[in-house]
Parts: sequence; structure tokens; C-alpha cells
Amino acid sequence: MSHSILAAAAGQMGTGEKVFFWIFGPLALIGAIGMVWARNAVHSALFLVLTMLSLGVFYVLQAGPFIGMVQIIVYTGAIMMLFLFVLMLVGRDSSDALIETLRGQRTAAILIGLGFAGLVCTAIARAMGSVSAKGLDAANQANGGNVQGIAALLFTKYVFAFEVTSALLITAAVGAMILAHVERRRENRLSQVDLMKARFAPGNYPGPKPGPGVYATSDSVATPALLPDGTFADRSVSKILPTRELSGAESAPKGTER
Amino acid sequence: MNLGQWVPIVGLVVLGALFALFSVAIAPVVGPNRPNRAKLSAYECGIEPTPEPVGSGRRFPVKFYLTAMLFIVFDIEIIFLYPWAVSFNALGTFGFVEMLLFIATAFVAYAYVWRRGGLDWD
Amino acid sequence: MTIAQDALQLPHLNYGALAPMLILFGAAAVGVLIEAFVPRRSRYALQLVLGLGALVAALIVVITESGTRELTAGAAIALDGPALFLQGSLAALGIVALLLIAERTLEPGGPFVAAAAVTAGTEEDRTQAAREDAGTEVYPLLLFALGGMMLFVSANDLLTMFVALEVFSLPLYLMCGLARRRRLLSQESAMKYFLLGSFASAFFLFGIAMLYGFSGQISFAGIHSAIQTSTQSTTLLYIGLALVALGLLFKAAAAPFHVWIPDVYQGAPTPITAFMSACTKVAAFGALIRVLYVAFQGTDWDFRPVIGAIAVLTMLVGSILSVTQTDIKRLLAYSSIANAGYILVGVLGLSKDGLSSTLFYLVTYGFTVIAAFGVVTLVRDADGEATHLSRWAGLGRRSPLYAGLFTFLMLAFAGIPLTSGFTGKFAVFAAAIGGGQSWLVVFGVVSSMILAFPYLRVVVMMWLSEPGESTPTVSIPGALTSATLAIGGLATLVLGVVPAPLLDLTNHAAQFIR
Repeated sequence: MSHSILAAAAGQMGTGEKVFFWIFGPLALIGAIGMVWARNAVHSALFLVLTMLSLGVFYVLQAGPFIGMVQIIVYTGAIMMLFLFVLMLVGRDSSDALIETLRGQRTAAILIGLGFAGLVCTAIARAMGSVSAKGLDAANQANGGNVQGIAALLFTKYVFAFEVTSALLITAAVGAMILAHVERRRENRLSQVDLMKARFAPGNYPGPKPGPGVYATSDSVATPALLPDGTFADRSVSKILPTRELSGAESAPKGTER
Repeated sequence: MNLGQWVPIVGLVVLGALFALFSVAIAPVVGPNRPNRAKLSAYECGIEPTPEPVGSGRRFPVKFYLTAMLFIVFDIEIIFLYPWAVSFNALGTFGFVEMLLFIATAFVAYAYVWRRGGLDWD
Repeated sequence: MTIAQDALQLPHLNYGALAPMLILFGAAAVGVLIEAFVPRRSRYALQLVLGLGALVAALIVVITESGTRELTAGAAIALDGPALFLQGSLAALGIVALLLIAERTLEPGGPFVAAAAVTAGTEEDRTQAAREDAGTEVYPLLLFALGGMMLFVSANDLLTMFVALEVFSLPLYLMCGLARRRRLLSQESAMKYFLLGSFASAFFLFGIAMLYGFSGQISFAGIHSAIQTSTQSTTLLYIGLALVALGLLFKAAAAPFHVWIPDVYQGAPTPITAFMSACTKVAAFGALIRVLYVAFQGTDWDFRPVIGAIAVLTMLVGSILSVTQTDIKRLLAYSSIANAGYILVGVLGLSKDGLSSTLFYLVTYGFTVIAAFGVVTLVRDADGEATHLSRWAGLGRRSPLYAGLFTFLMLAFAGIPLTSGFTGKFAVFAAAIGGGQSWLVVFGVVSSMILAFPYLRVVVMMWLSEPGESTPTVSIPGALTSATLAIGGLATLVLGVVPAPLLDLTNHAAQFIR
């Protein structure tokens, strides 16, 4: 990022690059601000997608098409999907616990974080004065292109690290399975015979359950059917539905006769 | 760098976005539109529509996490296939063997997940 | 363009010297396949045989390759004296830890949970706790971790080192969360370790970027020559060095990056704690000495005072806080922090002696600490391990043999002569004095005296108190734990009485190549 800003300041960019920078720069910023400000966690994640996509475009603009593609395929594709799923797992409405277990922890964390950021930023800013950006052109031309250059390094000098990465992938898959998958044990599996026995066991009503009172008083399956003596047949409403009473507006004619 | 090679991709993205916007914008204009209250409400057998399962305090099953995680594992494998495919000719036999080895080890992960029932949804 | 492309060649790979890592990764992959295809009841025996076989084979290969001194795989991996010595130590310590992990006679099914995904505390969890089976994924994970550690200590550039760091960290995070008992505590420890470890990895990566910005290189030789010749501002170099060192010192458990240690050591299954305290330390310090000695040799005057201050802080924090502990696993955790400080003192000798004494200390400490945690797994009551210190009162009367062994190990930690703890401390302090770092030795001796107090308190409690109603029993260990205790105890004794052969070996190995 700092390179793109420096390059922009130095005016080394072509027109096309400039146009794209000024389109996607604000977009990335809007995404980042929106991510922090959005009330809804899912909106927040979607704003993050915007920022990540814009960053992917930046990488491409800076002669790194491979990293740009990785940014889009892995980060905006896979990692964001995982983000969203985790949000759904936790529950979209749940918010942070506001109780501090250690007193003053949050303030200290913010101060130290700001201090660290300030330290690193000033140091880098100072160091950048004496650094001249090389750019990727030389590296990209050596093997006939950016992706080819990556391939040349990945499959020769860093071949061992590359192959060992597969160990990381296996570990990740095994870990996900260990932490999230409960194996069905054979003795817990019910056969057809078991199911039938359970169905006709004393205390279980084997026949079909009565339907809800859909056409009697309303068009909702959440309305219980009436028994001959006028009481509700509780079993006519599925257990996963909340039983409810219709408001006047809801039971009023819907205007379909027009 | 030469941005000319990206023009087709940019064109495609712009076309895609335009098509999506166009479809959404044109539908209410050209389609017949005779609404009533029953038509406008989402059809859920007369149940008040509720955003399930997240809105009512319930959560997604953890199964989704497993699927997402496995997707990431194989997604990253694809990332390594990309430079290999681009430089296939230059890499020759040793590159081919390296990639076979890599895919074989990643397949170990697949075999484990498959045999342990991680791919079943029940 | 085509000419350049056709010139791509596979770099020379010395398969013989890489064999230990290849064996471990291969065996781990086979282990995962066993998990996939072999019926549940046969897995345990197969995994144990496979794991032990692979580790023994790796150890044998390391010994036969001990004369190798070369850069291989396109100079990404350095197989020199320290790398081979540390790989051998990792294999040896890994065997001992594996024996402890595989013990299943102390409680039905062993210390690992059968299905870690079952929510802790539910009805299903209680039934599975009563069942006699256990997950066996821990064995391939252990092999992956050890393979990654071996790569970590032999990596010759920062990229390979980072990949290795992740390869060995990820299995460790997982293994921490697999305890059969006190599962919430175990899962909490895994979570803490994972989050803080990810931060440390991120800092490490950030540091790599800075160093690349300074030198345009990620190989240690390239950084070293850039330090000698570069005319650029050194700010990036120092930020990079600080961040890379932070990542490594986190794994090595140096203060102030130690806060995860007590919780993780307490929550993780005890055999995994033993494995972490021995092997993670070897790996982390192995990488730290390579980074400091090979890449940053030209900047000793700059990093020495800072890391020296960290060493002092580590020793003091570890020793003072261990005085206040009431749980044996937390006590050993703080003692492990203090020991990280002593090893840092050796590292800061910045000489051949400093290197060889560090290598020596790592091995001696590893064997002793595995044996100590092995004894902790034996002291049990109906709820599993009884780790509260008050429960250990009177244990000497209950079981003189194991209390005696634990006493011996505590004396070794305290650095009493005729134990390996004494020779190790002597070696690192001598190296530091030789390197002109006497001020570190002063703090080292002071903190050793403080640290002797909690050790001796445990000893006094075990022997001089009467066993009460609540004194737990000491289980009779099975063959595997007995082997662990015997190896650990013997190593502690032998390396204390006749340390010369191992000292010669470390002296012989103490030469990096660049």
C-alpha cells in the first residue's frame, strides 16, 4: 500500500493506473469505514468484501497479478465465506461482552496499540525516505511474467517449503474434522426394525397426526385444529412452530376478491 | 505495467454489473403489476415470515463451518495449481512430479474427510 | 523469454540428509490414512507402532548423517552441526514424549477425548467419557509437529522458517484441546494458544517483510551480507529484527511474551504439556540461535542488551511467580519460563561456547521436564490428575519410589550438582561469562536461588507431611510411562554425572554454515 501511495505521489503511474487507483481507492476506504460502522455484522462482512476486492485490484495494478488473484480467490472467496459462516454460527445478533474481566484492559490495549502503530509508522516513514522503490518490472521480466516468476521460485528454490505446505493443509482438514464433526457411531444408528418398534411402542400414537385448522378460522398452519368438543388439538400444530393468535388485521380479508 | 491485457476482464465485469442492474431496473417497468396484500406477503403457509435460523436466536449448524474450512483447504491447493499450470512447459517433468506429490498429499486430507463422514449431510 | 524458462531446474536435494523430515511427514500422512481406512479398534496399536518406528528411523538417519554439513534444496535448508544435533534431540525427546502420550493403563482409554466435537458437559459427553475408546488423531498430529520442528531448526531462509513455524504450531494448537477430562479448560487453553500464537505468527511475518525491505533478501546469508554492506537506513532492519525475534521468543516462552504459558500448560493434556515444554523449546531456541548467529551476526552490539534485558525479565518473572503457585502444572510452567531465561543467557554468549551450551541445556532440560510431567500424570484421584499442590502433601509416604524420582527431578531443576540441571546451568553461565555477559549471570544465580524455594517446598511437602484423607493415590504406571520415567530420570542422572560425551558432541556440532 505504502508503495502505491509513494508511487502515486511521485507521479510514476500511467493514466489507466491513475484512473483505477482513484476509483478503487475511495471504494476500499468506504468498505473499511463501513465495516467498522455497520450495525449489522453481515453488512460489516459485505463491506469487508468490497475492501478486499479493491485491494485485489490494487495488487494487479502494481504488477502483481498473482497476488491479486490470490486475494480475490482465497480472501474474498474462501476466507470471507468462512467469516460469514462463523458470524452465522455465533448468531448475527450477538454482540461483544461489555464486561471487562481485567480492569482497564481495553484502555490499555487501545493505548498500546496506538503507540505501537505510531512507532512502526514513523519508523517506516523515516526509513522510506532513503529507500527507492524498485518495482516488480525486473522480477516480472526474468521469467516471462509475474505468475511464471512465482512458479520458477515456488517449484525450484522453495520446493521443500511448498511440499511441506501440504502438511499444513492436511492438519487443517484433520483439525476441522476433529473440532466440528461428530462421527455417527454404529451402535447409535437405528435400523428400520428399531424405528418400527419405537413407533408401535406403548405411549406413542402410530397414526398420522391431525392437520391444523387451516381453513376453519384462518389460513395459517400455526392455527390449531378444533376437536369435536371445541378444544384445541395441540398435536395438529408442528412443534417447531410457535402457536399464535391472529391479530384483527391478519384475519381480515386480504383484498384478493378485487 | 501494461494494463491493456486487463481490458477484456474489466469489460466483462462492467458488462456483468450492467446486466444485473438492468435486469433489476427493467423488471418493474415492463412486467404486469397488480399487487394486493396477500400477494406481497411472503408465502410461508400463512406463517408470519421470520428470518430463520439466525434471527430467532437460533444458529447455523456447525456443519457449515466444516464445509467452509474444507473449501478453504482445497481452494489453497488450487492457488498452487495456478502458477504450475501457467509454467507447465518450463517446469517439465520435475514440476509434474512435484505437483503429483502435492496433490497426493492433499488427497490424504480428502480421504480422511470422506471416510470419516465429513462430506455426508445428515 | 523461452530461454530463461527452459533453464528451470530442480535444485539439488540431498535426500539422505532430508530423510528424517521426509520420514516423519510421510509417516504422518500414512497415520492420517490409517485414521481414514482402518477400523477404530486397530488404530491405536498401528499408530503407536508407526509413530515409534518413524521417530526411531528418523533418529537413526540423523545419526548416520551426522557428518553432513551442507546447504540443500536451493540453499533453503541448512543441514549443519546445530541443525542435525537439534533434529536428533527432537527425535529422541519426541520418542519419550510419544511413550507418555500413548499410555492407556492409567485411565480407561488414555488421556485423550474420543470425539472432541461433542459439546463438553452434555449427556453425550458423559457417556463418551465413560467409554474406553479415544481419538487417535493425536499421533499423526504429533508427527506433523515434530517434522515441522525439524524443518524449523534447519530452515535457512525466513520463508521456509515461517512455513515450518505454522506446520508445527497448528498441530500443537489442536492437541492442546483434546483432553479427556476438564474439557472446557483444555479447549480454553487451545483457544488462547491459537489466538496468541496467530498474533505471534503475524508479527513474525511482519518482521520478515521489514527485513526484506531492508535487504531485498530473505535468506539468512543474504541478510547477513546486507548488514555488512548495505548503506540503507537501518531502521527497517531493527524493526524487522525486533518483530522476528518477538515471534520466536513467543514460542520460546520468554517474558513478556510468556502470558500464555501457565494457562496452556495447565489446560492441555499433561502428556502434550510435556511434549510442548520439551520439544517446542528445542525448536524455538534452535530457530532463535540460527537467526541471531547466522543472519544478525553483524548487529550483536545492538540486539545483545535488548535480549539480555528480556532474559533477565524472563528469569525474574518465572522464578518469582513460581513461588506463588499452588498448582503443580502451573509451577512447572513458570519454571519453564525461568528456564527459557537461562537458555537465553547461554544464547547471548554469542560464541561457540554459547551455542554448544545452549544445545546441551535444551537436551538436558527436555528429558528432565518430560519425566517431571510423567510423574504428574501418575498422581490421580477419582477426578483424574490431582494437580493442586496441597494434595501432594504426604505423597512420600504413599509412594516413596515416585516421590523419590520427583524429588530428584526437582533437585535437577534447582541445579544441584550431580544432576544434569547443574551441568546445564554451569555450561550456559560459563558461556555467558566467556562472552562478557557477567551481569546476566548475576541475575541468573539470584533467580536460581529464588526458584529453588518452590521446588524445595514441594519436596518438603511430599516427605515431611502426613498423608491425609484427600491425599490421592499414585497409580502404578504402565510399561510406556515407566519407560518415559526411566529414560528421563536416567538421562538427568547420567548427564549430571558424566556430561562429557554430550558436551563433546555439542562442541563438535556447534558450527553454523551460512
